[in-house]
Amino acid sequence: MNIQRTEAPDSRPGQQPAEIHRPNRRGFLALAAGTGAAVALGGLPAFTASAAPQRPTASPLLSAADAAKNQLWWQAPGSANSMINQGLPVGNGRLSALASNDPSSELLMITDASLWTGGLNDSLTDDGQFPYGRDDFGSLTLLAQLTVAIPDHDLGNVNNYRRTLDLAQGLVGATYDISGVTYQRQIFASRPDDSIVLYFSQHGGGTYTGTITLAGTHSETTTADSAGRYASFGATLGNGLKYGAATTAYSSTGKVLVNGTTITFSGCKDLTVVVSGGTDYAPDSAAGYRNPSVDPQALARTKVLAAARHSANTLLHTHVADFLPLSGQLDIDLGASSAAQRELDTWDRLQARWRDNVPDPELEAAYLQFSRYLMISGSRAGSLPMGLQGGWLDGNDPDWMGDYHTDINIQMNYWATDRVGLSNQFDALTDYCLAQLPDWSDLTQRLFNTPTNRYRNSSGKIAGWTVAISTNPYGGGGWWWHPAGNAWLCLSLFEHYEFTQDRAYLEKIYPLLKGAVQFWEARLITTTVTDASGASREVLINDSDWSPEQGPLDAKGITYAQELVWNLFGNYHTATTELGRDAAYRATIDGLRARLYLPVVSPTSGWLEEWMSPDNLGETTHRHLSPLIGLFPGDRIRPDDSTPKDILAGATALLTARGMTSFGWAQAWRSLCWSRLKDSEKAYQEVVNNLKPSVNGGNGSAQNLFDIYEVSQGDGIFQIESNFGTAAAIIEMLLYSRPGHVELLPALPAAWAAAGSISGVGVRGGFVADLSWKNGKVTQVTLKSVGGSSTTLVCNGSSRQISVRTGQSVTLRNL
Amino acid sequence: MRSSSHSPLSRIPAGAWRRTTRATLALAVTVGFATAVSGAAHANTEPSAATAPAAPSIAPATPASATSGVADTPYMGWSSWSMQSSSYPGLNPDGNYSYLTEANVLKQTDALATTLKSAGYDYVNIDAGWWMDNSWTPEYDQYGRQTPDPTRFPDGMKAVADHIHSKGLKAGIYLPVGLEKGAYGGGTVPIYNAPGCTTADIVYPDLRTTNGWDSAYKLNFDNPCAQKFVDSQAQELADWGYDFLKLDGVGPGSGKSGDNYDNVADVAAWNKAIAATGRPIHLEISWSLSIANAADWKQYSNGWRIDTDVECYCGTLVTWENSVNDRWTDAPAWSNKAGPGGWNDLDSLDVGNGQMDGLTNAERQSYMTLWAINKSPLFTGDDLTKLDSYGLSLLTNKEVIAVDQNTSPVARPITPTGDQQVWGTKNADGSYTVALFNLGTSPASVTADWAALGFTGNASVRDLWNKSNLGTYKSKITEALPAHGSRLFTIKPAGAPLTTTSYEAEAADNTLAGNASVAGCDACSGGKKVGNLYLGGKLTFNDITVKKAGIYDIDVAYVSGDPRAMTIYSNNGNGTSVPFPSTGDWGTPQTISVQLALKAGTNTITFDSGTGYGPDIDKIAVPQSS
Repeated sequence: MNIQRTEAPDSRPGQQPAEIHRPNRRGFLALAAGTGAAVALGGLPAFTASAAPQRPTASPLLSAADAAKNQLWWQAPGSANSMINQGLPVGNGRLSALASNDPSSELLMITDASLWTGGLNDSLTDDGQFPYGRDDFGSLTLLAQLTVAIPDHDLGNVNNYRRTLDLAQGLVGATYDISGVTYQRQIFASRPDDSIVLYFSQHGGGTYTGTITLAGTHSETTTADSAGRYASFGATLGNGLKYGAATTAYSSTGKVLVNGTTITFSGCKDLTVVVSGGTDYAPDSAAGYRNPSVDPQALARTKVLAAARHSANTLLHTHVADFLPLSGQLDIDLGASSAAQRELDTWDRLQARWRDNVPDPELEAAYLQFSRYLMISGSRAGSLPMGLQGGWLDGNDPDWMGDYHTDINIQMNYWATDRVGLSNQFDALTDYCLAQLPDWSDLTQRLFNTPTNRYRNSSGKIAGWTVAISTNPYGGGGWWWHPAGNAWLCLSLFEHYEFTQDRAYLEKIYPLLKGAVQFWEARLITTTVTDASGASREVLINDSDWSPEQGPLDAKGITYAQELVWNLFGNYHTATTELGRDAAYRATIDGLRARLYLPVVSPTSGWLEEWMSPDNLGETTHRHLSPLIGLFPGDRIRPDDSTPKDILAGATALLTARGMTSFGWAQAWRSLCWSRLKDSEKAYQEVVNNLKPSVNGGNGSAQNLFDIYEVSQGDGIFQIESNFGTAAAIIEMLLYSRPGHVELLPALPAAWAAAGSISGVGVRGGFVADLSWKNGKVTQVTLKSVGGSSTTLVCNGSSRQISVRTGQSVTLRNL
Repeated sequence: MRSSSHSPLSRIPAGAWRRTTRATLALAVTVGFATAVSGAAHANTEPSAATAPAAPSIAPATPASATSGVADTPYMGWSSWSMQSSSYPGLNPDGNYSYLTEANVLKQTDALATTLKSAGYDYVNIDAGWWMDNSWTPEYDQYGRQTPDPTRFPDGMKAVADHIHSKGLKAGIYLPVGLEKGAYGGGTVPIYNAPGCTTADIVYPDLRTTNGWDSAYKLNFDNPCAQKFVDSQAQELADWGYDFLKLDGVGPGSGKSGDNYDNVADVAAWNKAIAATGRPIHLEISWSLSIANAADWKQYSNGWRIDTDVECYCGTLVTWENSVNDRWTDAPAWSNKAGPGGWNDLDSLDVGNGQMDGLTNAERQSYMTLWAINKSPLFTGDDLTKLDSYGLSLLTNKEVIAVDQNTSPVARPITPTGDQQVWGTKNADGSYTVALFNLGTSPASVTADWAALGFTGNASVRDLWNKSNLGTYKSKITEALPAHGSRLFTIKPAGAPLTTTSYEAEAADNTLAGNASVAGCDACSGGKKVGNLYLGGKLTFNDITVKKAGIYDIDVAYVSGDPRAMTIYSNNGNGTSVPFPSTGDWGTPQTISVQLALKAGTNTITFDSGTGYGPDIDKIAVPQSS
């Protein structure tokens, strides 16, 4: 494509615009820019004593009108028996909770991200694979349940109940009227105070009377200390992990008494409850993943009592000052919804969206902001990354242990992170992989070539590291070996570098990249293939493996692995070049990459092959799109001249055959692939499919917008990666990027075409983009460099080259 | 005795009671019609306030009974069966159903007089077993009539009635239909006051059995002796001073059908016999009466149980699932059958003591709400000496009792969208009685839209349970309801009636697909409806025109002899599966309201039976502005 600078008279490459042209529809953006420095604060390393929080000197709260622009709302509380569908999530990256918001019985189901059973799990089963149980591999479990019972506030007596999730400020709230008094409660998980705060207030002369109960979920005994004004418990799991939790409460009026195992309150015009807790987990293999200096129960008490020295308002302001800058890093406007749609609460609106199939652009934008809310609440530097449900559980037996699944789920959890302007939230994944690397390397080098492992390297060689399909926070794997899991993790880790262009980060992850490369250098085997021309050549292929999670268990050269290794070796080339390291080894790997076999189109099905075979060896409509990994998240297959037409056609045919109807994450992945193929309506339909209301456990979005997968009739489980995958899909319709190439509105669906804008989108190559459009055409775009210097920009059918210095931005107008 | 599976003659009362399976006619298809009628009416414009869905008129009750003044309003009182049927600790120390004793009846009588009488509860009804010993062995007099068990009722039935009357209350008693087998006496037992008649004369020679338990020989009214036998029973009850009789096991119903179980003649005979005594005696029949015979029941009785027993036959009196919650599905079919002289009986109202009832507070309130809006008799089966304060507040709420006792029509579901339902009826003063229900197991919000009731603008809302005025609401009211919870409102419109445009299902420009076809329907708008909407049958209204895009409350007039569901969607929507409550038969239209988005200009609205069986559609009415 030619550079056509002359077609854009308003483009001022290299010049910093006089002002930041962000849509000002949402007022909190301005504030976000002002307090952005808070983002730079380092993360808390697990559950440890923390410095006194910085307290804002002025209220950071949004006006009610501005807050209302980013709120989800409901007109009924959640059920204690259906918290996964109806509980509202809060979290500070480590400590998470689901809140029921029942007037007479507020229930918080609280999780600490490290409250895992299990351990290294290095005794393989007879077939050379990993045990996968809650005791050996382990499981994420609940930390505590906190109940605030207010018996007089029976729902049967309540009018005008309204429950909100404030996505910008990170607040769960509820208001309701009883006999002329309006009662209000706010719940938030504060990062600075490392606690969850519940603040009950009212106007109209009401009071609160009731009981606070903190209960463990592993048969712990809670004790209350009347002198110390707290209730707490502490215990040790079978794997030696210590944990504990504590709560305290205070009021400006009335009585708050600690007695027996509970805290009672009566005649309180307001009431503040603080709860915290954690474990002695440390992300350190050498230390056995424990921090011996931490006494979790005592630390929890210290934290809640420290927070309780401040008013609820002070705690609230401190929290919002921390949360708002993050939420404010991206603003999205996909068009206006109708007055009738706006009148509906979130659950009614979701149902109307599906029933009528009338686009609801504000709801669709809110879905993206909800995913961002989960990301901010669930993933902070210094804490563990989010697994299958993030930190939101409703029991101690989450499906698949709530673990880290490396064959789509953990990667999809972080597909959206950079795209939605939350780059710092990615650190938890990076830090996790780095902390696990010593054990992953040890297990791989010690156990992978176990003779009974059907995936072992037939060469007998071993090097570097890989993972099992499931991983835990103790270096351990679960279920089966997953040779290409290392390459897929590296793809995600390297993409974060592409977004940020952060050289120090690249240095940090380099050992992971190199270890994965070394693993594949040892593993690849040679075979001879015959090209379409009839010529035969020797190629490198993956040894026996399983295309996730279908087909033969011993297929060689599966497309999934070939594509991932091709990507890994390419990224390794870039990394070593960028860092000026290991030039000789780079050359070796470049040589291997040149010999890598890449998939062809089946002459029988017309599909891109999944198993290096013309035959379909699995389910036609299988959920995984593993053989299309080169389309998304990879970039090898592109709808342009760089990709042979037959490959593009084969990929399209395979995606078509997989079908449009699956469930959450599988539909999100399909949407992303359709976006890459620029089929905007199919991409949009898959987003719409994920907005289908989940009824009775069916696939779709629950009342709280958690994505639900129907395991069996009537039994739906939460799969958080679907929320993030869908958010990534929304972005990918609006902006496609790879280093050196940005394309605006690549797959804009008709539903959003009339007018819209988005600001704060991460761009691979080291930029952040703000863009506006009208009638399907980009009207303005700003690219701000966060490390990138030049890129091709494709928009409205033409292409131009942009250059900009780090920290500066360029704006194109009147496009 | 009610629908328990044991025989009243059995010496060993059966243990497990099994709920009678509701007859479901899943394959029932609308009555045959073949000719597609063309050129039907085009959409016409009419104000719909006068035909608001919740305002059917009460069909005039024309009971042939001479019992003038009986059942002018649904009766209220107490019945013994709930406690008899329960294994709740201490209730039945001398074996199953042994709660029924003179002492207990008198104790409850006294308690009723002091607790609930002032709220209008005045019947004390003795249920099954007064003629059984504690082993459930029946006893008869020399004329084949049931005679009180001397252990249970040492002073006889008259003394009990006298005591009840002394408290200013009315006395009720119970009999199964037919000649109980144990009374047959080889056919030689003489009939009282019927010279020459013996038990052999009043039954069929083949001793065919009848009633819900096959516990009796069917009476043969071809022989005048049979009427004489019923007369002798009625006279005895009148002589004892009873004011109420529950006749049980009556068919068609009570889980039975077919000639042997057709007890219409028995009920007629009882009606005649009661009239002949000269004493006003309320005649209530039980159980799960056939709706096809509703006209007979109205003619000869004062009330009919529409469903199986509400009791759970378990450690409490009832449970929500077994079978309180069935009644939300089962009651609508009967909505236009009730009126002065005869009422739809939803069975005992066991809401007085949460622990004994086996219900949450929310369930107890919903239970009484449904009974009240259906104008069911309000008789509790609770231990009146142990009412808890919440139960007492429910049972004595005057505003709710007034909903049961006033002259408004029986309420119907207006927006029956699954577990979240709105029921309503229009009152004589122009206000509406509206109940919100959440039948789900989680809290949920429920919204009553004024448009679904037939008016627009503002309305004032009175909360009957909480006895408070909630103020003025525009267009709708939404409340959060607990699991199995309810609200009950009086809503007074201050705005204008809703103006709608009606579209006839049979209109020529609609599209019918599959087997769907036009059929005659005398009571339907335009005299026609579209039916055969099953297994792919589909009806599309093609030219629904509105000026403004929005979400509209659309009235659907339909006919459905049983509860059905059908997917409804506008334009290219995915639609929603809408439950259609039974209208009682295939000729009576009723109306529900559904919400759909319409765009400015022309729209389609489609009724798609999919893989199921849908109702027949009469017409739809679309508001002229949203």
